Amino acid sequence: MAGDRYDAIVVGAGHNGLVTAAYLAKAGLRTLVLERRERAGGLLTSEEIAPGVRTPVADGVDGLRAGVVQDLGLGAHGFRAVEPDAVAFAPSADGPGLTLWRDPVRTATELRAGPRPRDADAFVAFDGKIRSLAGFLARLQATEPPDLESPSLADATTGLSLLNALRHLGRPQIREALRVLPMSVADLVSESVEDEALRGALGARGIRHAAMGPRSAGTALNFLWDSASGDGGAAGRTVFARGGPGALAEALVAAARARGAEVRCGAAVAAIRTAGGSVEGVTLESGEEIDARLVASSADPKRTLLSLLDPAETGPTLGWRAEHIRTPGVVAKVTLVLEGLPAIGGADDERLHGRIVIAPTLDDLEVAFNDSKYGRISESPYLEATIPTLSDPSLAPEGTHVVSVLFQYAPRELRDSDWDEAASGRVAEATVRTLEAHAPGLEKRIVARRVLTPADLEREYSLSGGHPMHGELALDQFFAWRPLLGHARYRLAEIDGLYLCGAGAHPGGGITGGPGQNAARAILADARRARRRRARPGRGTSVHIRTTETRYS
Amino acid sequence: MIVGGGHNGLVAAAYLARAGLKVVVLERRHVLGGAAVTEEVFPGFRFSVASYVVSLLRPEIVRELSLPEHGLEILPLDGTFTPLDGDHLWRVNDHGRTVRVLRRWSASDAEAYDEYSRLMVEMARFVKPILSMTPPDPGRPDPREWLPVARLARAFNDLSREQQAVFIQLMTMSAADFLDQWFETDPLKATMSASGIIGTFQGIRSPGTAYVLLHHYMGEIDGVLRAWGIPRGGTGAVSEAIAGAARALGVEIRTEAAVERFLTRGDEVTGVVTASGEEVTARVTLSSLDARQTFVRLAPPGLLDASFLKDVERYRYRGSSGKVNLALDGLPEFTCLPGPGDHLRGAISFSPSIDYMERAYDDAKSGRFSRRPYIDMVIPTLVDPSMAPPGKHVMSCFVQYAPYELAEGDEWDDTRREAFGETVIDTIAERAPNIRELILHAQVLTPKDIEDRFGLSEGNIFQGELSLEQLFFNRPVPGWARYRTPLRNLWMCGSATHPGGGIMGASGRLASLQVLRSLRARKAA
Repeated sequence: MAGDRYDAIVVGAGHNGLVTAAYLAKAGLRTLVLERRERAGGLLTSEEIAPGVRTPVADGVDGLRAGVVQDLGLGAHGFRAVEPDAVAFAPSADGPGLTLWRDPVRTATELRAGPRPRDADAFVAFDGKIRSLAGFLARLQATEPPDLESPSLADATTGLSLLNALRHLGRPQIREALRVLPMSVADLVSESVEDEALRGALGARGIRHAAMGPRSAGTALNFLWDSASGDGGAAGRTVFARGGPGALAEALVAAARARGAEVRCGAAVAAIRTAGGSVEGVTLESGEEIDARLVASSADPKRTLLSLLDPAETGPTLGWRAEHIRTPGVVAKVTLVLEGLPAIGGADDERLHGRIVIAPTLDDLEVAFNDSKYGRISESPYLEATIPTLSDPSLAPEGTHVVSVLFQYAPRELRDSDWDEAASGRVAEATVRTLEAHAPGLEKRIVARRVLTPADLEREYSLSGGHPMHGELALDQFFAWRPLLGHARYRLAEIDGLYLCGAGAHPGGGITGGPGQNAARAILADARRARRRRARPGRGTSVHIRTTETRYS
Repeated sequence: MIVGGGHNGLVAAAYLARAGLKVVVLERRHVLGGAAVTEEVFPGFRFSVASYVVSLLRPEIVRELSLPEHGLEILPLDGTFTPLDGDHLWRVNDHGRTVRVLRRWSASDAEAYDEYSRLMVEMARFVKPILSMTPPDPGRPDPREWLPVARLARAFNDLSREQQAVFIQLMTMSAADFLDQWFETDPLKATMSASGIIGTFQGIRSPGTAYVLLHHYMGEIDGVLRAWGIPRGGTGAVSEAIAGAARALGVEIRTEAAVERFLTRGDEVTGVVTASGEEVTARVTLSSLDARQTFVRLAPPGLLDASFLKDVERYRYRGSSGKVNLALDGLPEFTCLPGPGDHLRGAISFSPSIDYMERAYDDAKSGRFSRRPYIDMVIPTLVDPSMAPPGKHVMSCFVQYAPYELAEGDEWDDTRREAFGETVIDTIAERAPNIRELILHAQVLTPKDIEDRFGLSEGNIFQGELSLEQLFFNRPVPGWARYRTPLRNLWMCGSATHPGGGIMGASGRLASLQVLRSLRARKAA
């Protein structure tokens, strides 16, 4: 490729990197994706953990944007979404447990026969409220955060359209939105429904991936944000990719390649090269230099700003701010391979197709969180398990099942030890003990297991702090200040041609493709602007991007 | 007419009288001041029974009501002393000295302290106008209401980007996370962040607690920024000074006149009925009580619509603190810094580490008072000897956490109160072992006692938790943050309204100004 020059380099072939690359290539930019690992897909990449059993870190694709699927023609590249009717099942120690169905009315019908019949109507009302607030937040997620310092005309237009969307909510809902957003999820669900088990099952979604307990202010935002990206109301959504999340990764790679992007694996970027405030290209760990005037990093912002860029270019203030981006990873991932499936919580098969949530009460979640504050692994963890082999038997040999478990809390920084064998053993042990209580006989069926600790996530997937969201999603790292105020518009560090396109940017983590899509839109807008400047001679000569044909969608 | 003779009620009364209205204040108790009250609890020993320090009292109120002429004198409270095991951390208002102290702990903290303080002073200057602002209603785009917010937005724009970022962090982060950015010394972070949890049911690692850090830089006494003080004669002296000013302006103040319910005609409040059955009528009525007391206890049932009442009911109080007042035979002696000295003259903070604070909170979350609580202690007699007989002392201990709701099957009774008091004294004795032999009398107030005695729902000292969702335009009820209520001629003027909390008086003043404006508008119409 001597002398060859790319228009754009995307650092990292996680799903957001691939989404950005596909959009850029689609618009005619010569795009190269560089991935450190041997396979593209990031957290979607499957690893073989037992003969014939491959599983990734991510398990669902709940919030994947419909627009991304459509624009990139992912269906044509083999992506199929599978959505079970059961969204979540919360087994109970002393009862039949409760199920959240896709259809809130079905959930309500079952609640009416439960310990708190009044919750049936309360749940439907709560679901309606969440849907209307989530509808507004979904618009926010699709929006590029405004420039708070010097809003442009476009920002003003966006602002007005958001205001308009807000106005459509109606006066009481506006007030409600402003009241609810900074709340704790415990308060939000407790003022809505009465049953402790229902509160626990709903509240769990507010603390997923967060170093916060359900009583921490701001967890209602997590809950609503997830509801907004999935559009599943109070229950949220559970969506799988047929063939596993790896199939989505493959579809994204295929879509990007079909539009002309190159995807190179085993090519770790060591540095993003800059000169005079502009991007020049990247240097690989092998020493190879590749030039491009535009680099979009899907690595997390802390890593991008502190490890990939020249500190002289970022400067001490931004360096200091980047150091303090909060990335307190608290999630471990446990995968169990079972020979046959035991009964779980006495539930029929259909209920087990969604997520199985072990969050008996809000108090239990809070106690699990308490451990993590002192650098301990939760004694009684919050678990969220899926059994993808139920919906898609092709994922494992016949009779074999995969139970994929999100374990919380496993803080990245343990106080009494490192993340060694013994520590990851404790995670596995607590997982199995907790599951066994609801599924007697499970332990005997385990034929293989894998534990990914936050330290593993940090090392294997280059996630700062082992945080799968590239940075805590909390009120202080949100919207116009995600990852940092002044750098939330995908353009990073005030370096010409440098962009952030991963989960560290608005609207944040999850398998949504949202940041990747939003970033691509920002990049292409800049490209159009540069082209216009070029078209008007005499009005500045800096031309940053050569485009053959820029088509914006 | 003003219901409730707390400091906010008295401020509102004074302002209304100043504008020529004939005003009467009705107070349930025999003393004025509400929670800003001085009482001789034990013969010869006078206590600021509840609220015990002053910092945010609005200077415009001091000025406009000429409070110093009515006896207000604030004595500075210098520094914060944090006793530790075999060591201590002592910060004083002398910045240079504090930096030297910090250097012993961490050179980088000492350096950061400079930068941090400068930043916080700038932030405080920017935020301050909010305290004098009547919140707009986000559901109603009335430009006049939004003007002050627009002005603030412009001021925000004038800040540097770093300052803007810090402001957003202050509004959204936990106190501990915020301080983590500057400091590494554990007791320093624990002590500084302790102010973030006062009056809330949150821990120092809970988002939303950083904002209160600013209060330390917003206080103003005699024009000097960042000073906390004790009024000569206790916090009741503040109320007395305001009452004095009010009386001089013609306000009639009646104590032992408990209000039983509102008198209404249609949706209009025309006056009140007192416990003795007397009817007192007035053109406008201002309630300085919290929203639950005002709308659930005093308003006649059936008058308010259900959705409003639901908002009132779900407003969170959940008091989380108690108070222990001790009459002492001498001064406590701290193991880590024996002997009397200036370190006893300021605030003494039992906040040795972030873990300690978090454990205290964990207890509260599970419905227990903290086994080792955070205590903010002051010994007012060291700056104001008049509070106790010669040679004796009074000591005021603010204690957190003591949840109003105890775990199932448990409630605040005499046994619990005693156990709570013992725990507090044990905690002090760990660091000042001679405390037990000094105690002549002890008064222990649980959140339940605070509710019963001061009429504060669930014992919340701020008339409603100061959490993000209950501030500004959500205080006390979303849509009703402009001091007006759904009942005609009934207004709110207590801490339950913006900006709430602390001996500020801002709520009373802003409410009275809104009332006056509405009366003027009515006259003009």
